[in-house]
Amino acid sequence: MTRYVGRRVARLDARDKVTGRAVFGSDVSLPGMLHGAVLRSPHPHARIVAIDITAARSAPGVAAVVTGRDFPYTFGSAIKDQPFLAIDRVRYVGEPVVAVAAATEAQAQEALAALHIDYEELPAVLEMEDALDPEAPLVHPDLEHYERGSHEIVPGTNINTIYRYARGDVEEGFAAADLVVEHTFTAHAVSHAALETHVAVARYEPAADGYTLWVSTDRPFQVRNELTTALGIPSNRVRLIVGYVGGSFGGKNTLIAETAAVALARHTGGRPVRVELSREEDLIASQLRVPAILTLKTGVREDGLLLARSADILWDSGAYTSNTVGVAIRGAQTVFGPYRIPHLRLLSQQVYTNRAITGSYRGYGTTQVTWACESQMDVIAERLGMDPLGLRLKNGYVEGDPYLNGQIMHGIDLEATLQRAAAEIGWGEPAPDPPEPHLRRGKGLAAMIKPTATPTSSNVVVKVEQDGQVAVLCAAPEIGGGQDTVLAQMAADVIGVPLDAVAISTTDTAVSPFNGPVASSRTTYHVGNAIKQAGEEVRDGVLDLASGVLGVDVARLDLDEGVISEHGVGPRITLAELLGSFGFEGHSIMAEARFTTAGSPLLKAEPGMEWMSSIFWMLATHAVELEVDIETGVVRLIKVAAAHDVGRAINPTTCEQQIEGGVIMGLSNALFEDLAVREGRAGVTGFLDYKLATMHDLPEIVPIIVESDHSEAPFGAKGIGEPAAAATAPAIANAIADALGVRITDLPLSAEKILFALEGDPPETTDRSSMI
Amino acid sequence: MISLTLTVNGADRELVVGANATLLEVLREDLLLTGAKEGCGEGECGACVVLVDGRAVPSCLMLAADLAGRPVETIEGIASDGVLDAMQEAFVEAGAFQCGYCTPATILVAEALLRAHPRPGVDEAKDALDGVLCRCGAQPKVLRAIASLMYGEGGA
Repeated sequence: MTRYVGRRVARLDARDKVTGRAVFGSDVSLPGMLHGAVLRSPHPHARIVAIDITAARSAPGVAAVVTGRDFPYTFGSAIKDQPFLAIDRVRYVGEPVVAVAAATEAQAQEALAALHIDYEELPAVLEMEDALDPEAPLVHPDLEHYERGSHEIVPGTNINTIYRYARGDVEEGFAAADLVVEHTFTAHAVSHAALETHVAVARYEPAADGYTLWVSTDRPFQVRNELTTALGIPSNRVRLIVGYVGGSFGGKNTLIAETAAVALARHTGGRPVRVELSREEDLIASQLRVPAILTLKTGVREDGLLLARSADILWDSGAYTSNTVGVAIRGAQTVFGPYRIPHLRLLSQQVYTNRAITGSYRGYGTTQVTWACESQMDVIAERLGMDPLGLRLKNGYVEGDPYLNGQIMHGIDLEATLQRAAAEIGWGEPAPDPPEPHLRRGKGLAAMIKPTATPTSSNVVVKVEQDGQVAVLCAAPEIGGGQDTVLAQMAADVIGVPLDAVAISTTDTAVSPFNGPVASSRTTYHVGNAIKQAGEEVRDGVLDLASGVLGVDVARLDLDEGVISEHGVGPRITLAELLGSFGFEGHSIMAEARFTTAGSPLLKAEPGMEWMSSIFWMLATHAVELEVDIETGVVRLIKVAAAHDVGRAINPTTCEQQIEGGVIMGLSNALFEDLAVREGRAGVTGFLDYKLATMHDLPEIVPIIVESDHSEAPFGAKGIGEPAAAATAPAIANAIADALGVRITDLPLSAEKILFALEGDPPETTDRSSMI
Repeated sequence: MISLTLTVNGADRELVVGANATLLEVLREDLLLTGAKEGCGEGECGACVVLVDGRAVPSCLMLAADLAGRPVETIEGIASDGVLDAMQEAFVEAGAFQCGYCTPATILVAEALLRAHPRPGVDEAKDALDGVLCRCGAQPKVLRAIASLMYGEGGA
């Protein structure tokens, strides 16, 4: 029995957040703190000829002016390719070149204006297709000499990642097919646009020759390691402290505001330096979703059975790789969708360009590949005269199916997500006639699949204080997903204490136990399992202690809601009384646990292929009903039903929050967001021109929680969050195709493109739009 | 620099501020009321909204020097003696927030809405709330929180 798991308890962070008391990274203020600002490159690609800092150095209030030569370090988790501040060369518009620290923000900005930099512009790679040209300029001529992981690159080119996968024989599959379709889809770059921009406060600690940083990040240990590796210092010289994070969505996971903050802090004699990106900087010079061009060729039998798919994907990392390499490998694999297809071939290449850095974005490549896969599924259904739902049900993974590497899929229910999302919008029933003759109605759906990073581990410490309060020490920053709450719910149930007796610690890498990132929807499962292990040990410790104190066989004792009871007798003593009885001597019960997914029998796969396994799989279907105005091309969403297989909902409200938020992000990406990049320069400077969906843009959203049965999950819970945005865009495009009979293959789905598609002309203002 | 008396959450505060200091800067840096956030500094995102004369305004666009004698309410003044007000309770119950960065502004907009229209329609609520961006996508539960406050559990 569970008291808290499965219930809609109020979030632990609710009170802090509704009273304005929550302290975010942007709220950190320290005595003597200086304000940093960054001069950025105005050119996509240029040589830095000279930097004159003389006037800036003597400007009022200025404490430090730092160039790349003054702080000549580079970083990068997959490829060490990115300088803290540009060294000799700039590679994108917005690249940090000089950092200034001053007493006030205004003084820092004035000092920037006093800087003089001479550039010599260089030929640039402005489009990802051009990066493959053998004559293209090289964004990183030294690529092959950079430190990097084990993934493949192509030396002497702009290709920083190349990944191939094949299974069966696609040519044989195409030959056996009754229908072969081939399309090219494009997914655009979008901004994470967290309302809290990237922010860091850094302080140099002269005694330790290290740094303390107050940052907003979703992966404290990984960012710390990135920094210590870059600087070539031991991990204990850098301490990261993380409070509430004002949204991340995969964006706050590397050194962004941190680069200038650290470089400046090294030169201010121990005075802390705060760097907060403006909204414009955040939009053009933090990181973006990796844009992609995806060509899919799929062979299918007349009855709808999928036989073969080849996928050729080109990804644009921008000027530096950040966390994109995994997107181009792990993310690319899911281009085959949640379907059994016997013959497969994938070529995934990622190139450098002289454009803004891209990185991980909610879904880690899934939003891009799902866009292509699910758009094409509807074209196939149309060509075969099949129901799009039926086509997906016919080919969709079911429990026990082998994944691409032979892993047996476990704890999944794709079918329920398909059926329930479709039913919610009245699938198969004709849409009611639109109220005006210039309006057209349509319905569409899309499914998706996503793995979680595997194997990864989480450590926790659980301690019961003398008054019966429980502290869970872990490094899982509350980035908005409600993870504090679901972790506390599990801890309360495992140990047997009231929920309000449980506190989840904030993160400080100097004292917090290790954890993998709050990413890949892994927190509930991994930290939850670690809490389960440590919590059970703590509970056993409490009962053992009570057994001795009470003189009762431990098997006769139970701990529930902080009260120890004896079977057949009733309540005997509270946890607080038990531990409090030790008085000044003190008695705290503590346990630590490490949970790792490595070695789980669930990961078994074909020899050498286990790295492609996922400890759990996330499946979802989004179904959309909409209306299009054929005179303006404007889409009005009527309803989105989003069904997600979450394993088990620890807290249905937080699951719904993720699903609703994912749908809104997905529809916002699909319909509104456009950085309008021309010649390597973004055409937006703020939220006036980079439009996010607001209240008036939102349809009725129906979150549907599908529960499945995963044997190793804590209380059966898998993950939700990352998958929630992926299926919305193709479901919208499929509904537009249903309404109008035209298909847009190029994101975003702007009114302009729809109008042009209706008129049969290619839009003049986009490069790659094509219609089928 | 300008000397002025700013009335914040019912208390008069004597301040010396720069002539070009925004209300947001004064609240956050001089009065250490950090509930109002800067999301853009250009009046586009709404994260800095506070109430002036009972109306929701972006504090990043208001000069503090213009506000002498006009009542300013921030999120910190909404709960009294640690007791949440009904709107805050409704947000907690409905789960009408995620990362929480825009939550103070959203609550203040909702407070102003209900003071002006005790029973607003959904469109009125959407009109009022359209000016606060929320990247987490808490909007559906924000509407539910407001509806539950007006019409009881589950809303209208």
